[in-house]
Amino acid sequence: MALIMEQMPIVFGALNVGFLQTLKLFIVTLIGSLPLGLIIAFGSMSGFRPLKYFTKLVIWIIRGTPLMIQLLIVYYFPGLVLGNSIWGGGESGRFLAAAVAFIFNYACYFAEIYRGGIQSIPVGQHEAGKVLGMTRVQIFFRITLLQMIKRIVPPISNEIITLVKDTSLARIIALQEIIWAGQAFMKGSQGISGAIWPLFFTAIYYLLFSGLLTLLFGALERKLDYFR
Amino acid sequence: MKKRMAMLVLAGLVAGMMSSAVMAAEDSDKAYVQEKGTLVVGITDFEPMDYKNEDGDWVGFDADMAKAFAEKLGVEVEFVEIDWDNKILELDGKTIDCVWNGMTLTDEVTSAMDCSNAYCDNAQVVVLPQDKAEEYKTVEDLAELNFAVEAGSAGEAEITALEYNATPVKAQSDALMEVAAGTSDAAVIDALMAGAMVGEGTGYADLTYTLSLNSEEYGVGFRKGSDLVEELNAFFAEAYEDGSMLKIAEEYGVQASIIEQKAE
Repeated sequence: MALIMEQMPIVFGALNVGFLQTLKLFIVTLIGSLPLGLIIAFGSMSGFRPLKYFTKLVIWIIRGTPLMIQLLIVYYFPGLVLGNSIWGGGESGRFLAAAVAFIFNYACYFAEIYRGGIQSIPVGQHEAGKVLGMTRVQIFFRITLLQMIKRIVPPISNEIITLVKDTSLARIIALQEIIWAGQAFMKGSQGISGAIWPLFFTAIYYLLFSGLLTLLFGALERKLDYFR
Repeated sequence: MKKRMAMLVLAGLVAGMMSSAVMAAEDSDKAYVQEKGTLVVGITDFEPMDYKNEDGDWVGFDADMAKAFAEKLGVEVEFVEIDWDNKILELDGKTIDCVWNGMTLTDEVTSAMDCSNAYCDNAQVVVLPQDKAEEYKTVEDLAELNFAVEAGSAGEAEITALEYNATPVKAQSDALMEVAAGTSDAAVIDALMAGAMVGEGTGYADLTYTLSLNSEEYGVGFRKGSDLVEELNAFFAEAYEDGSMLKIAEEYGVQASIIEQKAE
């Protein structure tokens, strides 16, 4: 126990650095994938057939393959296939590659949730908008969007909480997020070796963070409760 | 139409993968590294070869040798932590330029990389709980034990050759955790690593290491066909001759394991 007390400051320092990287990937992924998902959702509902089928194909490929493989492909393929790594070997290159893989992956899941939300709005409302002489863009932003947002909060919050934990997959391309930081003490880092507890302790970080997100989504749902 | 597109994309990927293997052999790796101005060294946090000191700088026997080698090439050195399982991917994908991290020259390594001359000796040792160490004095005694070994490691090869029970795990540190947790009876890991991680004053104070199973050697891995291999061998010979290699080794307590380097 005394040994653990001694190790704590060093371990927490390293875990905090790792968690910052986790957080960064989480936020960047959301900023990129939430809007991209909407674009993909429109693509998959497009009246222009080739675009519709192409989008569906992309969604199938991205959802049908493990994110871990996608990370490996995004990071290593440029170097393996083109003979020139566009990302570089450093930490920033790894982060960028991880962000690209995560944004595309999550955008595809979000796209399907958006599509569900949009299609759940009764056609009658769309027709009413048309009768009033609104354009399609106006109908979307003034009628559909807010109702869609209200309906998709629960499934989106589900995905977002999954994302918190999925960020740990980025360690496969050696992005030094919190699990990596915790594992480092098992084999030895900063004078501490063979310490198992830091790895398990990372779970507390995830738990607290997803607890915070749950509260946030709860508040958001209540805020949107003023209409049915 | 779409089918044809998919086929084209697939064919492109396959052709690209095949050509990349050839391409590496054509270009001069030394010129490539000197042109970009940095030698990117793939490492893991591995005391006493590559590890971070209090200031957060990479030090260790391998790290210091890599710094000196980069200086000779006239380039900066950049240390990058990699996932050990992906070292060949990292190398071929050009995200790193060499693997310089107490790497055992196994068949897996030498068939996928072009390696330098061996520069350091190592052995595979058996790690046991301290209170059980007395009971297992010979290799035959070990037959009844369940081992945890790192998948693809030299330790796994030893245990498999003896036809003893072994559970492959992801890393040597995981093998130690198995023993500490009692889910395996013993582990087989590198002697240098066991020296740093097992016994009093470490996180595994209740464990100890006893028998050594074989001896093996460390080398530095480069891409296939890289001309940096010769360059490094020449550098090793020079550094051994003028005593700088042993001086660095003494700093990290590995001088007893250094292998003599001769100019070719």
